Amino acid sequence: MAAPLYTTASGLLFHAGKILILTVGLPARGKTHISRALERYLTWMGVKTQVVSLGDYRRKTLGGTQKLPSDYFTLGEKSPETMELRKMVSDGCEKLIEDFFGAGGQVVIYDANNGTRQVRQDLAEKFDKQGIHVIILESVCDNKEIIETNIRNVKISSPDYRGWDPDKAVDDYYGRIRDREATYETVEETTWPFIRIINVGEKIMVNNIRGYLQSRIVFFLMNIHNRPRMIYFARSGQSLIEHSYKADSDLSPAGWEYSERLKEFVVERRAKSLEQRGFNPNDRRLVIWTSTRRRAHHTAWPFLTATKTPSDLQLIPHIASSHLTMPPQSAVARHMVVTDREPTTTKAAAGPPLNVKVIEKPQMSEINPGVWDGLTPDQARKFYPEEWARFVKDPYAFRAPRAESYHDLSVRLEPILIELEREKEDLLIIGHSSVIRCLLSYLIGLPASEIPAIEIARGDLLEVVPTSYGVHSQAFHFWDGPGRRGEGVDGDDGPEALGRSKRDETNFYENYAEDTKGKKPVTTVELGFLTGEPEKVAE
Amino acid sequence: MDHLYENHNRDHFPLSSDSLTAALGAIEDMADSTDAVPDSALRNHPPAIFRAGGPMLKQFDESTASSQKGSQAPTPPRSVVGIGNKVAKPDYSEAKIVLAMVGLPARGKSYLSNKLMRYLKWLEYDVQVFNVGQLRRSRAHRKAQQSGILEDHTSSYFSHNNIEATKLREQIAEDSLEMLIQWLRKGGNVAIHDATNSTRMRRAKISARIAKEKGMSVIFLESVCNDPAVIAANVALKVSSGDPDYKDLPREEAERDFLRRIKEYEAVYETITEPHLSYLRITDVGNEVTLSRINGYLQSRIAFYLMNLHVKPRNIFLSRHGESQFNVDGRIGGDSLLSRRGLAYAHALPELVRNNIGDAPLTVWTSTLQRTIQTAAELPYPKLTWKSLDELDAGVCDGMTYEEIEQAYPEDFANRDEDKFNYRYRGGESYRDVVVRLEPVIMELERQENILIFGHQAIIRCLYAYFHDLPQADLPYISVPLHTVIKLTPKAYGCDEARYTLPIGAVDTHRPKPGSNVSQVEIPASTTKREYFKTTA
Repeated sequence: MAAPLYTTASGLLFHAGKILILTVGLPARGKTHISRALERYLTWMGVKTQVVSLGDYRRKTLGGTQKLPSDYFTLGEKSPETMELRKMVSDGCEKLIEDFFGAGGQVVIYDANNGTRQVRQDLAEKFDKQGIHVIILESVCDNKEIIETNIRNVKISSPDYRGWDPDKAVDDYYGRIRDREATYETVEETTWPFIRIINVGEKIMVNNIRGYLQSRIVFFLMNIHNRPRMIYFARSGQSLIEHSYKADSDLSPAGWEYSERLKEFVVERRAKSLEQRGFNPNDRRLVIWTSTRRRAHHTAWPFLTATKTPSDLQLIPHIASSHLTMPPQSAVARHMVVTDREPTTTKAAAGPPLNVKVIEKPQMSEINPGVWDGLTPDQARKFYPEEWARFVKDPYAFRAPRAESYHDLSVRLEPILIELEREKEDLLIIGHSSVIRCLLSYLIGLPASEIPAIEIARGDLLEVVPTSYGVHSQAFHFWDGPGRRGEGVDGDDGPEALGRSKRDETNFYENYAEDTKGKKPVTTVELGFLTGEPEKVAE
Repeated sequence: MDHLYENHNRDHFPLSSDSLTAALGAIEDMADSTDAVPDSALRNHPPAIFRAGGPMLKQFDESTASSQKGSQAPTPPRSVVGIGNKVAKPDYSEAKIVLAMVGLPARGKSYLSNKLMRYLKWLEYDVQVFNVGQLRRSRAHRKAQQSGILEDHTSSYFSHNNIEATKLREQIAEDSLEMLIQWLRKGGNVAIHDATNSTRMRRAKISARIAKEKGMSVIFLESVCNDPAVIAANVALKVSSGDPDYKDLPREEAERDFLRRIKEYEAVYETITEPHLSYLRITDVGNEVTLSRINGYLQSRIAFYLMNLHVKPRNIFLSRHGESQFNVDGRIGGDSLLSRRGLAYAHALPELVRNNIGDAPLTVWTSTLQRTIQTAAELPYPKLTWKSLDELDAGVCDGMTYEEIEQAYPEDFANRDEDKFNYRYRGGESYRDVVVRLEPVIMELERQENILIFGHQAIIRCLYAYFHDLPQADLPYISVPLHTVIKLTPKAYGCDEARYTLPIGAVDTHRPKPGSNVSQVEIPASTTKREYFKTTA
C-alpha cells in the first residue's frame, strides 16, 4: 500500500466514483487469484478496495461442506431450507458490500460464481441504483491444466475438504463444477461493461470500459498471469563507499566475494525449490533485474560469466584471483576491506551453463539521500536537526532536501510492479534495501508506514512464491561477512564468522534510509536524542 | 473537480506572497554582502563530499582499480572513474508489431497513428507510419511528372464499382504492406499501417501475410467516430489543409467530393468483429475502448495509452522556473531560490496566465525543488508537486559550473557532448533516464485538460520533444529560454505553439553543441501540418 499521487477530500481517487466488480466464472477458474491480485494493486495505489468472497463468508457463517445440507451444491430442486440458507449467505455478502461502500470504500470485488444472467442482472441493477458503477469480470479457462492445478493446490486444501483423501476431494470438486456447468451462462449480455479474462491473463476482452481507474484495472489485468514461478530478492554486495549515492562506487573485495556466493546459493536454492514443486530447473530461464547502480549490476556479474561454457571462458582474458594486495596508501584506502581468504578457482567452468538474462532498470536505483549524501547519521543530525527530527518521526513520508521519500520511491517503482506481475520466468532482483522494501511490501501487502522498518540484511536471500491468496515468502541466510548488517560486525557468531568480525570503522553504514535495520517511526517519548541521548536511534 | 493536493508535501515549503517578499529581502541582504554565495554556505551546511574534482573522489578513483582483484569474474566490468559514462539503449529487438488501422476516412485514423508514433518513439521504440494515401499520392505525382498522365483521384477512383482503380488501390495497399514488412525485418519495432482496411477480406489478407513472418504479430486498431461535429471538423481540415487530391478544386466542391468518397467506403465497410483477430476499437477517442485478444507487454502499453487519450480542446503550458541564483552563478543542479529577476517573473505570471485562459480551469504542476514551487507561488490554481519533474540529477557534478567540470575532467566533459542523450552523470542521470521517469507524467498529461507545468531545462526539453516529435540526438540541445511560457495546443497532426516571453531579463543557460554550426535546434512554429508526400517513398 503505498503510492497515491494525491489524496482528495472525498477519499475517492481519479474521479472514478464507486465501483463494484462482479466476478463471474465456474469454480476453479482463478477468480480468487485475480480478485486478490487486483485488490493488492488498487490498495497499493491508494484506492480503498476490498474483496468480498462468498465462499469465505459461507464457510465463516455456515461452516465447511460437512455442515451443509447435501443439496447445497448439487443440481436440481433444492429444499426450502437450502434455498433459505443460500439466500442468507448472499444477503450477508451484499450487506458487507454496502457496509464497505458506506464506510468510504471505493472498490469492492465480489468474488462469487455469479453464474447466471439473472443473478448478475439483479445484483447490477441493485447497486447501479445506488449510484455504483458496476463492472462484470468474467474468468474463463479452456486450459485443463490450469483448472487441475488450481483444484489440487488451492481448493482441496480448503476447510471444506479437511480430512479428505486428496484424489477423492478432487473428484468431488469436479462434481461440484459439473453441476454448475449445467446452469452456467457465459457473459454475452452487453448491458454492463465487462472484462473477460481467458486463462488468467493469457487473453483479455474488454467491452465498454471507460474511465481512468477502469483503464488502470484493465491494464493491470492484462499483465497478470498465474504461471508458477519463483521471485528472489537479494541485496547488492558491499561497495567501497557504502554511504554515498553519488560516488556510485564499485564493489569492495567483500562485495565481490558476496556476489560469487550469491550466485552459487541462488542456483542451489532455486534448484531445490523447483524440484520440490516438480519442475526441472534446467528447463527454465532465470531473469535477473538490477538497478543501473554499479554495486547492483556488478553483483550480477558472476551469473553472467556462468552463462558461458568452459570453452567460451578460455577465450576471455583471465584475471587471476590472487591474494589481494594492499591498495596504495591514501585516505581512501581506509575504505578497503581486506579479506584473507584462500584464492579459489573459477567455479563457472563446472556444471552446465546457466540460462540467465540480466536486465538493468534505471527505475530501481536506491532511494536518493539528497543533501544527506555521504553524511554519517551524526553529521546529518548536526547539520539538519529539524529535518532529521521530522524524518525520524515519519520515515515513510518525509523527504529530506533534494532527497526522495519512501513515498517518492514507491511512485517511481510503479512501472516495475507491473513488469514484476508480467514476468513469467523466475526472477532474481538484486537490489538495494530501500527498493526491496517497497517491492516486498507490495507483494506481501504491508501498510505504507511499515515499509521503512523492514529489515533487509545482506546475505539473506528472500524467496517469494505467488499463490492464489497472496504470496508465500521465506528468507534463507547464506553469507556472513563485512557489511552484512551495516555495522561492520558479523550478524551471526557461527564458525563461519570467526576471524572476520573486524569492525570497519570507516565503511560501516549505509545512507540514512538504506540502513539494513530499517527505520521505525519514533514516538515523541523516544525522541530523547534531541536532548542528548543520541544512542537510541544511532544504532 | 475534487480538490487536489499532494498528500505528503502540503506542509513542505509553504510559500506565499509573504514568504516571497521575505525571500526577496534575504536576497537583497545577501547581494550586499557578497556576490555569489553558495546555497549551502547560507545554511552552514557541509559541501557535497563526493563532488567531481573533489579530493575524495580523485583519490577514490586512483585506488579503485585494486578492488577488482577480488573478483572471480574473468572480465570484471570496467571500473568507475571520472564523472560519468555513456549508457546503452534498452534492448527492444524482440518487439515486432504491425498496427493496422481500420476506419472510414475522416475518423481520426491518422491522428491516432501519429499520437502512437510519437509516444512509442519517445520511449525509444523504432516506429514508422506507412500511410497508404501518401504512397498513392507520391506514385501518382511521380507518374504525372514522368509521363504527364494525371490520375483522377476524385471520389470515383474510390468507388467499389471502378474495377480498374480498385485493383490499383489494392496493389498500393499490398505494396505498402510489403515495404512495412521489409522495414520490420531490418530491425524496426512497430510499423503502423495507416489505411482504411475496411473489409474483412482485406484484414484476413493482412493477417495471413503477417502470420508468415516469424516473430511478427498484427493488431488492428479501429477508429469509430459517431459524432457528426467531429467528422465535419475532420472533413473541413482535410479539404482546407492543402491536400493535393483537391489542389485546384474550390472548397465546396472538394468537400462534396470527399463526402462522396466517404460514401463509397461506407458502402463496403465492415466493422471488426472477427473473433480470431487481435484488435482495439476506439469509439469517439477517449470515450470507449474495446480490446480483444490483446496480450504482450508492448501491446498492453499501447492499449493503456489509447485508453487515456482524449480530444477535448485544451492547452498545455510549459515554463522553466524563474531565474535562480544558481542560474546567475552558472551552476547546474542545486536547490537554490529564485534571483530577484526570477521573483519578478513569478510575480508577473498570474496576469499572463489569466489573460491567456480566462476562467477556464487549470492545474499547476511543479517539481519538488524550491525554485519551481516559488515560481508558482502566486498563481491561484490547484497545484500538484511531482518528484518526477525534478531536474536531471547531475550526480557528482551537482552544484558546479560547466567551467569547473571542464577543468576537473576535460575528457569526460567532451565525451558528454559527443552523445549527450545517453550520457549518465556519475551518481546521477542521463537524458534517457529522465525520459523513463517522465513516462507516467506523459500518461497523466494525456488524460488531463489545461495544465501548466513549471519544470527545469532538461525536463521541459524532454516534454517538449514528446509533443513535437523531435529526435533524440537534438533533444538535449533544444533551447528553452528562461522567463518564457510555451503554450502548446494539441491538434490532429501535432501541436500549435505560441511563446510568451516576459520582458524580464535572465541569463542564457543554453549551451549549443560544440563544433556544430547550428547554434540551436530549429523549433518549428507548429508541427500540425500533415505530410501528404513522403520524399523517401
